[in-house]
Amino acid sequence: MSQILLNINPIAILVHAAIPLTIILVYALVAIWGERKIAGFIQDRLGPMRVGGWHGWAQSIADLLKLIQKEDIIPTDASRFLFKFAPFMMFAASYAAFAVIPFSSAYIGSMVNIGVFYLLAVTSVLTLSVIMAGWASNNKWSLLGGMRSAAQMVSYEVPTIASVLTVVLVAGSLNLMTVTELQAGNDILGFLPNWLIFQNPFLIVAFIIFFISILAESHRVPFDLPESESELVGGYQTEYSGMRWAMFMLAEYADMLLLSLLGATLFFGGWNSPFGDFMGGPLWGFFWFMLKGLLLVIVMMWIRWTLPRYRVDQLMHICWSILIPLSFINLVLTALWEVIF
Amino acid sequence: MELTTILFYLFASVTLGSATIMVFSKNIVHSAFALMFTLMGVAALYVLLYADFLAATQLLVYVGGILILILFGVMLTSQGYSLSFKTITVNLLPASLISVAVAVLLIFAFLSTDWTISEVAERSDTVYDLGMLLMGDYILPFIAVGVLLLVAIIGAILMSTRLSAENNGAS
Amino acid sequence: MLNAVKQSWLTFRSIFTGMGVTIRHFFGKSVTLQYPDEKMELPKGARSRLFVNIDDCIGCNLCARACPVNCIDIETVAATQDVDLGKTSTGNPKRFWLTLFDIDMAKCMYCDLCVHPCPTNCIYMVPEYEYSEYDRINLVYHFSNLEPEMVAEVKVKAELEAEQKKRDREEMMRKKAEEKAKKELEEKKKAAEESKKEDKEEE
Repeated sequence: MSQILLNINPIAILVHAAIPLTIILVYALVAIWGERKIAGFIQDRLGPMRVGGWHGWAQSIADLLKLIQKEDIIPTDASRFLFKFAPFMMFAASYAAFAVIPFSSAYIGSMVNIGVFYLLAVTSVLTLSVIMAGWASNNKWSLLGGMRSAAQMVSYEVPTIASVLTVVLVAGSLNLMTVTELQAGNDILGFLPNWLIFQNPFLIVAFIIFFISILAESHRVPFDLPESESELVGGYQTEYSGMRWAMFMLAEYADMLLLSLLGATLFFGGWNSPFGDFMGGPLWGFFWFMLKGLLLVIVMMWIRWTLPRYRVDQLMHICWSILIPLSFINLVLTALWEVIF
Repeated sequence: MELTTILFYLFASVTLGSATIMVFSKNIVHSAFALMFTLMGVAALYVLLYADFLAATQLLVYVGGILILILFGVMLTSQGYSLSFKTITVNLLPASLISVAVAVLLIFAFLSTDWTISEVAERSDTVYDLGMLLMGDYILPFIAVGVLLLVAIIGAILMSTRLSAENNGAS
Repeated sequence: MLNAVKQSWLTFRSIFTGMGVTIRHFFGKSVTLQYPDEKMELPKGARSRLFVNIDDCIGCNLCARACPVNCIDIETVAATQDVDLGKTSTGNPKRFWLTLFDIDMAKCMYCDLCVHPCPTNCIYMVPEYEYSEYDRINLVYHFSNLEPEMVAEVKVKAELEAEQKKRDREEMMRKKAEEKAKKELEEKKKAAEESKKEDKEEE
């Protein structure tokens, strides 16, 4: 790695790192607006309509400008350093994980061979930043949110990793670029793309477990207990305002995108076109990849406006007595399948 | 200076600085968060040593698992998070004697060892080698650790079920 | 085991049913009205701001008397003989200048009681509900269309006429009284003469 660092210009590294950042920022603006629109349409409303003309497309930009102007409030009894640091650490953790996501056949942040393992390790820091924010606010709601988040994320990391392991077992690599390259072509039943979800019946189960777990990991409804606004005000975000709160929001949406893109890479062929070589190439690859990721994000939003929230004990019950045993049985069965076929 | 060297000193100072804070902080939660920075700094140093798998494991197991459980335990304990510690020194004479002895020993070891400085070849596939080693040369310790963890899990389950059964019986 | 499979099946089926409901609403029509641009039409008989068609008002004061909160304030001045105020659209002759017709919408409780007594149907509620103000004083609506100078002129005229009438009446009363006194005097005289005559005849 020192060789790599020696040979590459620091400016080149910065430019390299700015690509995912740009994608995250643009995506966050669109996704926050999109979520409000989806919420509106599902509830027979219109959502934001005023700012920017067509269907209020500039609403997020206006909100951002408002948040920049807001006062930065730090509670008197808060632990100042940790309170200030938590939102940035949360965003840093989600952003760092984007390094191993292959956005197209021509671009990946880092070709480290531990790819998906690194991603899971870095996102586990997210939990700590939530606890940090919850504890540093010196507020009972925040603390409760932080505790719930800790319990939830530690529990749901297990089924996530087990289902990712199932994919790794089939693909034989931790590097997401290699995993994606394996899924090129349209050979299954003559027309279906070689995506992993079509390759093996156990991978469908793995995808279901993975999807439920990423809903919990990114604090989305029905597992949004750490920030459940109806009981905990805002959970760990209660005391935050202005740009610090915006950083939390950004990190949350970035996390959502990250896990959706991971799902798209592991199960839906990443940047591979669904039509074989037709509409292939790096740029089209980027398009297909983002399309798959955003579709998963939209499904997450759709679920959010459909289902009510689970209770804490139900959440733990789902994880420990259903998802974890199921994911391990699934792992063993996949291994057997791989040995037999 | 090379970029790698700069990064090394940066991460080393983060590790040492946060470790100092961890030891001397009077607030147990502050200590725990300082420990987080220490562990992350160590993970970064592993990366600089080409041990990327080890670095990720460090993050996943220590930062993402053990540290969270520590914090969880501290916060669940009643008043644990507001408890402040006395960081004054007790047993001044024996403690200073032992620490001086340890320091002398360490410095002596550092100076007397014949350090061989070799250029580490860049590995492209640490995971494959690690897997081969774990399943080959080190299969026995690997399985022993597995059995140990299994026993720990069974013990934990047994304890919690017995506790809840007793509680049910009492009530 | 079978039970667990059944339960999972039930869970997934209910989740997908719920998602089906939401997606149908997603593509369904929205019920939102873009308020300042589009407005809902108020239903018939909606109680809202009061309006007075001052051209039809005959100054009968019935609405002010009906009001339970005294939010209607009316002051009338009788028209002098030389002006004809015309008739209302319902054919009632107008006999008063309306020098003041104020309705305080801050006090109004939208009971609609003032609308029904009006003999000419000139006070009614208009479908108008956006009249919030920064100052309460702006909620007092003035319906009288007389200019202040006109009001003063009318008042002076009416006073003059009233005085004139009073004087006339006093004059008349005085004349009547004089006549009465004369008559009485004459009657007395007559009576005296007659009694004299009678006395003479008796003698």
